[in-house]
Amino acid sequence: MSELEEVMVKGDEELLGEHLGVFTARSTERRILKAAQDGGIVSAVMIYGLEEGKFDGVIASVTDPDDPEEPWKPRPVVITDPDEVLEAAGTKYTYCPNVSVLKEAVRRYGCERVAMVGTPCQIRAVRKAQLLPVGMRHVPDKIELLIGIICMENFPYEGLKTMVEQLCGVWMREVAKMDIGKGKFWVYTDDGEVKTIPIDETHPFEGEPCHVCTDYCAELSDLTAGSVGSPDGWSTVIVRTEKALELLNEMVEQGLLEVKSIEEVKPGLGLVEKLAQAKKSKNQKEIEERKELGLPEPGKVHEQL
Amino acid sequence: MSERAEIQPTTRHEGHAKLVLYVDDEGYVERAFYLNTSAIRGFEAMAKGRPAEFVQVAVMRICGICQATHGTASAEAFERAMGIEPPRDGRLLRELCALGNRIQSHVLHQLLVLDDFVEDEKEKVEAVKRIQQIRKIGQYVVDVVGGEGIHPPNIRIGGMAENISESARKRLYRRLREARELMEEQHEFMKEVVERFAEENDLDMDEFGRHDQPFLATHPTYGDPDRLDLDRVVEVLPIEYYGEEHKEEAYEHNGQIPLYDGVPVEVGPRSRYVVFDGVDPRGVLYIHILRSQETLAAIDRCLNILEELNTSGKTLAEWEPRAGTGVGVHEAPRGTNVHIARVNEKGIVEDYRIIAASTWNFPVVEKAIEGEHQDYAEVIMRCYDI
Amino acid sequence: MVRLAYVQLAGCCGCLVSLADTYERLLDILDEVELVYCQTLMDEREVPECDVVLVEGAVCLNHEECVEEARELEEKAETIVALGACASTGNFMRYSRGNEQSAPTHEAFVPLTEVVDVDYAVPGCPPAPEAIERFLTLLLEGKTELLEPFAKLAEGKTEYCGCDLMYHVVNKNMCMGCGTCAAACPTRAIEVVDGRPVVNEDRCIKCGACFTQCPRTIWPGDEAIKELVMGGEEE
Ligand SMILES: Cc1cc2nc3c(=O)[nH]c(=O)nc-3n(C[C@H](O)[C@H](O)[C@H](O)COP(=O)(O)OP(=O)(O)OC[C@H]3O[C@@H](n4cnc5c(N)ncnc54)[C@H](O)[C@@H]3O)c2cc1C
Ligand code: SF4
Ligand code: SF4
Ligand code: SF4
Repeated sequence: MSELEEVMVKGDEELLGEHLGVFTARSTERRILKAAQDGGIVSAVMIYGLEEGKFDGVIASVTDPDDPEEPWKPRPVVITDPDEVLEAAGTKYTYCPNVSVLKEAVRRYGCERVAMVGTPCQIRAVRKAQLLPVGMRHVPDKIELLIGIICMENFPYEGLKTMVEQLCGVWMREVAKMDIGKGKFWVYTDDGEVKTIPIDETHPFEGEPCHVCTDYCAELSDLTAGSVGSPDGWSTVIVRTEKALELLNEMVEQGLLEVKSIEEVKPGLGLVEKLAQAKKSKNQKEIEERKELGLPEPGKVHEQL
Repeated sequence: MSERAEIQPTTRHEGHAKLVLYVDDEGYVERAFYLNTSAIRGFEAMAKGRPAEFVQVAVMRICGICQATHGTASAEAFERAMGIEPPRDGRLLRELCALGNRIQSHVLHQLLVLDDFVEDEKEKVEAVKRIQQIRKIGQYVVDVVGGEGIHPPNIRIGGMAENISESARKRLYRRLREARELMEEQHEFMKEVVERFAEENDLDMDEFGRHDQPFLATHPTYGDPDRLDLDRVVEVLPIEYYGEEHKEEAYEHNGQIPLYDGVPVEVGPRSRYVVFDGVDPRGVLYIHILRSQETLAAIDRCLNILEELNTSGKTLAEWEPRAGTGVGVHEAPRGTNVHIARVNEKGIVEDYRIIAASTWNFPVVEKAIEGEHQDYAEVIMRCYDI
Repeated sequence: MVRLAYVQLAGCCGCLVSLADTYERLLDILDEVELVYCQTLMDEREVPECDVVLVEGAVCLNHEECVEEARELEEKAETIVALGACASTGNFMRYSRGNEQSAPTHEAFVPLTEVVDVDYAVPGCPPAPEAIERFLTLLLEGKTELLEPFAKLAEGKTEYCGCDLMYHVVNKNMCMGCGTCAAACPTRAIEVVDGRPVVNEDRCIKCGACFTQCPRTIWPGDEAIKELVMGGEEE
């Protein structure tokens, strides 16, 4: 059994989705940890994959911090150079259409082994594109790895801006990092200031379409990373496919990742499961309410036409 | 007294068509009619009143085998109508995109005609596999450069929507080198099977299906409206061309017949070689060999373009609508493809005309068939890529 | 073995080329069926009785042969599949208005789904080679649950176009901005702005790819994905 497999445990698959195991990890590289949101798993996997030639392109989300108008407005990018991966590190709490450049990656960039990071809904979108690729000519077989990020909800840009500028009192252009955790929304400025608001105050700004989504852990990913369950600076990682396990094993063997059992850390797997459950029940209820109003159920829109 | 024979539908080509043959006692064709029986989808009429951008997108759907040529000819027509100058790299990429299409289309045609020349199943399967490998590379060019292998959306009025990445350029180069090797093999194969066919059937490659019509071509690899004098082109209705005495046939032909200096002209690979390299046209079977040779030349030109291309260069000119009329000409795999657009100051299409490549060849096919035995009618028709 | 026919009505042959763009797998696909008719590929001149017919192209109501050919399929084929947008949604043919000099009266073009009792419709202009291959595999294996969306689309209720994407996804508060529609659109008519699609109507040809590809409109079920995509089949 590998070092990684020794620390892996299994959680509730009803809530987390089918998986081979869950563990806590972080990158061993300072430059990655510095740029990344949590344990830098996503960035580390992308860099490793590109360097080893496992991927020839990765799709992630970047912002343009020098944009005077919308410094935190993300846009999807295709990255082929491992040195550019960290430019995309860090969470942007607003919609970024990563899947929109999937075709560009295999066309304009000629990629044959693409990795993409995405929210659970984006991972789902790509999986469907692999199963029923009606408008996805020559894309399905070019997808090498799907990295999911745990997600409770996302925010429209103007909503996020209101949270940051009105509620936290910080200009978007001054923001160095945002985070959600421990019941709060956190804003870190370039000057080292930290502002928070209770998570409850962010609810009104959540994107409504997120409320019909019952996938918390990107259940159809190859591997998923999130902050919940692990201590600050560490990530909770869910491995689902053999392919992802193999890659992570290699990374651990090469000393690129530091891993721990999630049972040794606080708050632990229980919190991940609790929040997954919360998302599922709350949003299932929302779907039922919408149905009563005569609105379509997600995934069944065509049936109502 | 000649007898009337019909072959309907003719097979192994794009679209719907039929052959009407008047043959003598020994089966030799005295008069042939090659009639397009497809429903006319009315692209010219559909264009009217629509924005230029829509029309350029829609007309690609005239033909799913050679869409890039329609996209290109249309973009060229609109650019000339509105005084738009595509940037150098956009122009190069456009040529590359359409050549990728020429590669796949030419060998696809070789796949369609296989049954005319090869009986042995194993030989056939091998050829199909090789053709599919070559097509895959041709389509890869169109996918990468044009955005989609079928109906490439990157071809735009003003150039190309985007440049390719440096890594894609390298990949294209590598793949095209592979294609060249495969194509050399395929070229030898085509020569061999066509010559074998001629021999077995006792046909003279120089004379079989030879006709006296002139040849029209505007450019070896792209298209050049300056080499097409539109004043010498007329499009006539079938009834005008065939005359009252052949009313029956005329009414069955959907489409107009383009003539140059009042007569049918051949377009396509052989025309391009006749016009630009001065080759002797010989008989129709020779078209197969020239088409194959032209595929090799297309690959070479693609490799050149990749060397010339600046992958960080601008590819799309910004433009404002402006009133005007423009002619776009592109050498489709099948021959000279002409689009003529008139737009108003808002960029709305007021008039649109298309002379698709194969329409030139319809009456030429008839000439080539006439004088030969009726058994070869379809074989001759398929020398042209209809 | 399943007897398969391929019929081209008022279409461009692009859907057939898309099938051919399975490249090395084309021969394998054709090995799985008995191809009994395909005018572009073989010399058979009349559509025989068959199990499945793939139909490309719209129907021109003003062209008798075209209507007849389409109608006859109901008798000749067990299962009728509208392949591609012209046959399933109407595609850009929705803009046909007749008055073309060479056939002025050819003006009414409708998708096959409006004229014939179609079993399945696969939109897209053209549908991706991999989609056609997948569809055929599911059909041959009799995985009818997974074919249900295609059966539903065959009812031809609408064009499933960029407008429908707005009406039935964005307007219904269901779009989460993944960008799939933009990638799927074969004409690049869609741009995602502020997390929601904007459809450029000058480029939209009503092919139905965006609507069909959107994960929020039609969801095939997690199990199918785990079995057919994540089960290692694609890798
Ligand atoms: C909208 C949103 C909500 C989230 N909610 C939760 C939550 O409720 N619980 C939880 O545990 N974790 C949540 N996360 C995940 C968490 O914030 C981290 O992204 C995750 O832990 C990975 O950390 P990392 O250090 O490995 O990532 P990094 O190495 O920093 O890499 C993160 C990657 O995600 C990409 N990315 C960033 N923002 C987006 C975006 N909006 N859309 C698509 N890709 C993006 C980046 O380009 C980067 O490649 C959320 C993330 C997002 C984007
Ligand atoms: S759907 Fe597109 S590719 Fe298929 S026949 Fe119609 S125009 Fe051609
Ligand atoms: S927006 Fe694009 S994908 Fe959607 S129907 Fe229009 S052309 Fe097709
Ligand atoms: S595919 Fe659907 S959910 Fe995704 S951006 Fe388009 S409309 Fe929205």
